[in-house]
Amino acid sequence: MSGFAVRNRIREFRQQRAEMTQADLARACDVTRQTIIALEAEKYSPSLELAFRLARALGRNLEEVFRFEEKK
Amino acid sequence: MTKVQRRVQAVLAVGALGAAGMFLGGEGLAGIDFGPIGAALLYAALWVFVVHLAKHAGEIFPEEWSPAERQGWVALVFVALICVQVIIMLSALPGLGIDADRMSNSATRGLWIRIAMPMFGWIVISSMLTRQDSGTVRLDERDLRIAHSGSRFADGAMTLLIISLVVTLVALPEYSRTWLRPLIAANVLIALLITRALLENIYTVLRYRRERG
Repeated sequence: MSGFAVRNRIREFRQQRAEMTQADLARACDVTRQTIIALEAEKYSPSLELAFRLARALGRNLEEVFRFEEKK
Repeated sequence: MTKVQRRVQAVLAVGALGAAGMFLGGEGLAGIDFGPIGAALLYAALWVFVVHLAKHAGEIFPEEWSPAERQGWVALVFVALICVQVIIMLSALPGLGIDADRMSNSATRGLWIRIAMPMFGWIVISSMLTRQDSGTVRLDERDLRIAHSGSRFADGAMTLLIISLVVTLVALPEYSRTWLRPLIAANVLIALLITRALLENIYTVLRYRRERG
């Protein structure tokens, strides 16, 4: 298990939505802006519920936003 | 770092100096009693901090700190202050001999006021922060997860502390246990609880720091 990590493309998808700031995404997902920062920096792996909320807020599928990869 | 943050850092440094003066206590250095001077410095610094918090809401703490992390730092400072007071009291008790058995003696007299003051400061600052953060998410799943890890870490540390204390007491020869009076033992247990809270807060703020990278 320790050889794998949850990677995400939150920042990439958020920046594609030009007007969406970290604060906007945080508000949409009912978390603090600091949690979005930690998620984008991949310092924190979200719960399944938050992962679904993030994907919905970004207008993407869960598999597009998150992937489970082997650590390099 | 902003100008306000630099000023607040200086205020907190003065507060830390005051706390150190209080810790030096009655004996002090060169015959000067640093206890009251330290207490005056500390409470003046806390007052200035509260004024800054009221005037420059949102500027005092770094922007990357979440509301729960801010509360964690505030809790750490005040629990550390309470811890200092209890350590000062505990270190004075063994020297009191039979007087240590009395609820009110020279070490415990005024202790409640010395503990109540930081508690009051903590409540004031904490409620000011809560008011400033109204309308935003104050606690989310990451904060809860960190709080839970902090609690588990503190429980583990407390278990270790209790086991070490029991081993130390058992290993002590009979003649060196004379200082161990019932009220001293009761105060040691209270000190353990406060130490647990201190360790929990230290772990919490360090975990937030690590997650910021």
